Amino acid sequence: MASASSDSGETLTLNIMPMLDVFSILILFLLMSFSTDPVSHDITAGLELPESISIRSLDEIPMITITKKAIMVGDLLVTELENGEVPEKNRTQGAIAPLFKELEKLAEANRVRKDQPADVEGPQKDALSVEMDQTLSFKLLKRVMLTAQQADFVAFKLLVNKANDG
Amino acid sequence: MKKKHKRTSPEVGAVDINVMPFIDVFSLLTTFLLFSAVFIQIGVLEVQIPFLSNAKPPDFQKPERILEVKADVTKETIEISSSWTVAPIDEKKKQFPRDKAGLAEAHRELLGIRTAHPDVDKITMLADDEITYKELAEVLDAVKFLAPGETLPPPKDPTVLKNGEAQPSLFPKVVMGSVML
Repeated sequence: MASASSDSGETLTLNIMPMLDVFSILILFLLMSFSTDPVSHDITAGLELPESISIRSLDEIPMITITKKAIMVGDLLVTELENGEVPEKNRTQGAIAPLFKELEKLAEANRVRKDQPADVEGPQKDALSVEMDQTLSFKLLKRVMLTAQQADFVAFKLLVNKANDG
Repeated sequence: MKKKHKRTSPEVGAVDINVMPFIDVFSLLTTFLLFSAVFIQIGVLEVQIPFLSNAKPPDFQKPERILEVKADVTKETIEISSSWTVAPIDEKKKQFPRDKAGLAEAHRELLGIRTAHPDVDKITMLADDEITYKELAEVLDAVKFLAPGETLPPPKDPTVLKNGEAQPSLFPKVVMGSVML
């Protein structure tokens, strides 16, 4: 216990036990909420994810981010959105042309990484992770999926917030 | 000759434990844990979309009789349908409101289908353009996962079982049927 003497000779003691109690509880709480997820990802600013009872954790940084204002591949802005929809100039055959270009590059990089011959065609084994605002429509997600399908991606991991009671 | 030494403190009853090193460790631990704490846990919902394959086409002479399960989601309703690929088709359709109670009923209907046919692990989901991602996630939760306490009988075909699956799934394979070229 910390103590100090005053001028009058009286010994003043600081009771630090309550502080230790608070520290203990805080550490207990932090240790219990300590995440062992393989990937820690901060949700993009201005984006709200829906809640889900899924307990499957995120295992990679999201590849496609769809906010209310734009679609991004990694950190690269692919297209801006107008009222939650892709502008006409960026659409071709129902897909999103700039997104297709980026996903094609990604598919090619995946093939090179796996030492697959360039002429081998078929669906990508890797799933594309998609982070999307909960208020956006399925129409937009469908357009993104359709674009990914053209770049041979057929599996998706949709990001959600794990519900507390899930 | 042994002498017994009695340990005595100069002031009996005034022994203090130095808690300062203890507080130092606690402070550092708290700082580290606060920095590394993740307050929002991110999960994933795995879905697939249909794709065209250049694999050998199935043998049309001996078509396989498979049960196809579909969930058709609109802004107001969710329709669960099941039909066989080969006659007798025996198509069954049930519609539920797309609210919390309706989704729970739809989940029970799907659980019934899955219990009766343990080998069927794929569901095709058709969704309206207008539904939001939030609504889609709610439906996916009802379609994809088992609620606590729910169990499924083991499949007849053991290859259907996935090793290391952390969460018991009602329909592990969800195909977004609306996404077609």
